[in-house]
Amino acid sequence: MKTNQIVKIALQVGFFTAWSRASEMAAEALRSPIPGSILGLLALFALLELKIVKLSWIELGADWLVAQMLLFFVPATVGIVRYKPLIVQSGAEILATILLSTAIVMSVAGLAGERAGKARRGKAAS
Amino acid sequence: MPLVWPALTVLVYVCSKRLYARTRKLYLTPLVVTPAVVISALLLSGSSYDAFDRGAHWIGEMIGPATISLAVTLHKHLHVLKKHARAIAAGVTAGGLAAVAVSAGLARLFGLAAPIMDSLAPKSATTPVALSVSGALGGVPTITAVATLATGLTGMIVGPLLVRWMRIRSSVGRGILLGTAAHAAGIAKAFEYGADAGACAGIAMVCTAFVTLFAAAPVMSLFQ
Repeated sequence: MKTNQIVKIALQVGFFTAWSRASEMAAEALRSPIPGSILGLLALFALLELKIVKLSWIELGADWLVAQMLLFFVPATVGIVRYKPLIVQSGAEILATILLSTAIVMSVAGLAGERAGKARRGKAAS
Repeated sequence: MPLVWPALTVLVYVCSKRLYARTRKLYLTPLVVTPAVVISALLLSGSSYDAFDRGAHWIGEMIGPATISLAVTLHKHLHVLKKHARAIAAGVTAGGLAAVAVSAGLARLFGLAAPIMDSLAPKSATTPVALSVSGALGGVPTITAVATLATGLTGMIVGPLLVRWMRIRSSVGRGILLGTAAHAAGIAKAFEYGADAGACAGIAMVCTAFVTLFAAAPVMSLFQ
């Protein structure tokens, strides 16, 4: 990667970080039931659609953040070490709930989406 | 030495990402390898979670900017959303409602206490939304954080198997399946199927956040 590209990514990630802080503060000030990060996402999306913020200004930084998403979840995962008593007491039940419900939700969402998509395509073809 | 833990975290992450890109073995995904190595290092060195958190908390705080950057994904792939609005609306509504109801139902079935049931109910939503819904329902946000993460991890592992078994062939169906149930972890997985699936997963995650925000309390009132 070229140096000026790294600088661009760093600056754009800085922009997203500042935007995130600002939306957290706005959500708190407005006592919004919707979390700051979702408000910030919607506000930035609106500015992109209105072409007030240009895609080229922030695209590299956004691609980098999305690509490194898994890294940002690591600290919370490591946080599991604080829950030893809960894990010992009901870990198996919690794990079973998570495994089963995730598989069921995926099946429901995937099948509903695929069916609705196919119905639409079928109609368009006829 | 506050820099040791974030340095170790990033180093292990970068290495495991390379390794995963080369092997594509699910147990080598950075979301499994990185915490496993870091937790082992914490336990072996006798360090506390607080010592880790002091140095590495900013890594977790990047979830905020990363969530916001999905505005760019949405903007770039709005045509996908418009084209597949029907499928996305159907999948996300059905999946989002099922997520709350099934999680709570199973938690009760397994005899888990009410605060844990409330903590598990919003776990398919993206972390910041899951945390605030959990708090509003009477759950314990810290349990929700770990459960949400475990859901993402489960989704990354189970999702591709379900895609194969149920023969979900469209990138729209794959994206909805992963993004609705497994938030950002699902999006990361969906991008392995291509940009269209990734975009659909991103849109599905944002829509699921809204379904969870507005439907969690009414659905949970059925479990009173």
